[in-house]
Amino acid sequence: MKDKFDHLDKLESQSVFIIREAYSQYRDVALLWSIGKDSTCLLWLVRKAFFGKIPFPVLHIDTTHKFKEIYDFREKYAKEWDLNLVIAKNEDALARGVGPDTGKFECCNELKTVALKQAIAEYGYKALYLGIRRDEHGIRAKERVFSPRDEDFEWDYKNQPPELWDQYKTKAAEEEHIRVHPILGWREIDIWEYTRRENIPVNSLYFAQDQKRFRSIGCETCCGPVDSQADSIDKIIEELKITKISERSGRAQDKESDYMMQKLRSLGYM
Amino acid sequence: MSTDSRTVIVGLDGVPFGMLKKFGETGVMPNTHEIIKNGYFSKLRSSIPEISSVAWSSIITGANAAEHGIFGFIDTHPGTYSMRFPNYTDVKVKPFWEVARGESVIVNVPATYPVRPMNGVHVAGFVAIDFNKSVYPSQLVPLLKDMDYRLDVDASKAHTSMDDFLEDVDKTLDARIAAYRYLWKNQDWQNFMLIFTGTDRLMHFLWCAYADENHKYHELFVDHFRKIDVVIGEIVADLNENDTLLILSDHGFEGLETEFYVNRLLIEKGLLQFNPGTDPNLSNIAYGSKAFALDPARIFINQKGKYPEGSVAPEDRESVITELTAVFSEFEINGKKAIKHIYRKEDVYSGPYIDEGADLILIAESGINLKGAMGAKQMTGKGPFTGKHTLDDAFLLINKKIDAGQLPPTPSVIDAGQYIKSKVS
Ligand SMILES: [Zn+2]
Repeated sequence: MKDKFDHLDKLESQSVFIIREAYSQYRDVALLWSIGKDSTCLLWLVRKAFFGKIPFPVLHIDTTHKFKEIYDFREKYAKEWDLNLVIAKNEDALARGVGPDTGKFECCNELKTVALKQAIAEYGYKALYLGIRRDEHGIRAKERVFSPRDEDFEWDYKNQPPELWDQYKTKAAEEEHIRVHPILGWREIDIWEYTRRENIPVNSLYFAQDQKRFRSIGCETCCGPVDSQADSIDKIIEELKITKISERSGRAQDKESDYMMQKLRSLGYM
Repeated sequence: MSTDSRTVIVGLDGVPFGMLKKFGETGVMPNTHEIIKNGYFSKLRSSIPEISSVAWSSIITGANAAEHGIFGFIDTHPGTYSMRFPNYTDVKVKPFWEVARGESVIVNVPATYPVRPMNGVHVAGFVAIDFNKSVYPSQLVPLLKDMDYRLDVDASKAHTSMDDFLEDVDKTLDARIAAYRYLWKNQDWQNFMLIFTGTDRLMHFLWCAYADENHKYHELFVDHFRKIDVVIGEIVADLNENDTLLILSDHGFEGLETEFYVNRLLIEKGLLQFNPGTDPNLSNIAYGSKAFALDPARIFINQKGKYPEGSVAPEDRESVITELTAVFSEFEINGKKAIKHIYRKEDVYSGPYIDEGADLILIAESGINLKGAMGAKQMTGKGPFTGKHTLDDAFLLINKKIDAGQLPPTPSVIDAGQYIKSKVS
């Protein structure tokens, strides 16, 4: 077991380093909390980095279509962890009736992307912490590599090129804020092992009920559960060790890749 | 410029300069011929590599790949060997319609899927998958479906029945024209962009029918261009004096003699290896491999720190480039050199995303089509394709003479994109 702890300790200290470094650079920062396992794990790391009290807001983009369990979780831990919780909604779009029934793309775009833009504009955040991971597939994986990796395929923050922060500044000019990904190098199983070790609260949606559980959670209408018997963190970790199904396969976005491959093949690519 | 001058862009995917000229002169495309006679007509240099996603992204943004971020149809997830398909959300520079004054109608531009809200109407092009994510605003979805609008020709049909394929090409064109006619009349617009992509699909499979007047599909091939010329005639008739019409292609085309499978050469030279007992695909690449190719012929050095099995130290990059350059420049097919240009990314790209580009990009000699084809058993071969893309002979046609200095003597797709941006903003 000692080895495992060393691995998690290393990930933790790398993430804490990035979290503190970004805060000292930008100050006007916020943590984007989707209330899923990754951003909750990130939130935990941020609490650790600042000794229990997060010195900046925690932003939740509320589409109003989240699972009830997500709202319950948010209220409970915002209070327990004394978070400066900022809830942002695209009120205009909601007033216009935008929702899953009016088209999933528009729904997602208006209620997530536009809502986030509005919040950034309103509160003037210069940097946002996001709990994305490199081994997630799908649309999020387009994020740039944060830093070079060493032989172990871990990223090595001490080996950052000096222009790292400059790179992020360049990006800021375009998007008007900087995205910081402190857990980019974590794998799904690392998240769970760390969650188990630290006793981080877990949303009940992740645990199997009636042979199904969610591997990633978001809006009620865009998430599908996967077949699973795992009703505890231990069982989830066991399941991850044997399964090869992609984490986001419950989400519609990745099925497109198969079609794209077929289309490209028919024209002689691939 | 008067504020009500409009800009219309018609794209003919893959159509080479010489073909348009010939179809003009031989009466297949009389309306186009009129514009050629009275306007600006030039060869246009495609992107590197010369494929639609990269080239159209340059045309709509005026930027090179290291700025707009689209380097091919396929890439790897950063730091891994797993495949990803870059799409419109990866385009880092705003397309002209997001900086233009007034509303725009954008129909079938490749690499603009999935759509996002914009000022006007946007119907995405290749590779568009889900209809609902291909049309903005979504209210137009039922209307387009009523027109039997098709996002793209089903090219897989060409692999089983050429007749079925041609029927699909024709129906797709008809529906595209119906959609354009509807939007042209019923939508407010300042800028209108309409791309025909059936041209590229036809040329891939039936260049042979174009080249041979006795080919049984020759007339069907030519008819496709006649139909497009009718649309060009309609558009010209509806233009005001101040309006600008640009007709252009994203790359050229020529006959295909041989396919050259670039990864096979890397394997035979010992530069690319797979773990013993595994399939030859990128996820099984063995430590020690120096390079691999992604389509069409983008060579990535398997660099330490960049890839999980990366084995080339950064300080050895130059010597590996030298080695690869020697391998490719010496390679011959039937006694003739196969590779015409070996571009280093530093020489052809500049911008913030240059790290994501391939280290070397190969351009073939005439008649040779380059493919990654990791699983290929031989170095060369021939599939169902009779035509292939070319770099130097896309075209740009504008309905008026151009003031000196507005475009360089041999413009590229990037120049065309910058010209478009200057026109619409
Ligand atoms: Zn093509």
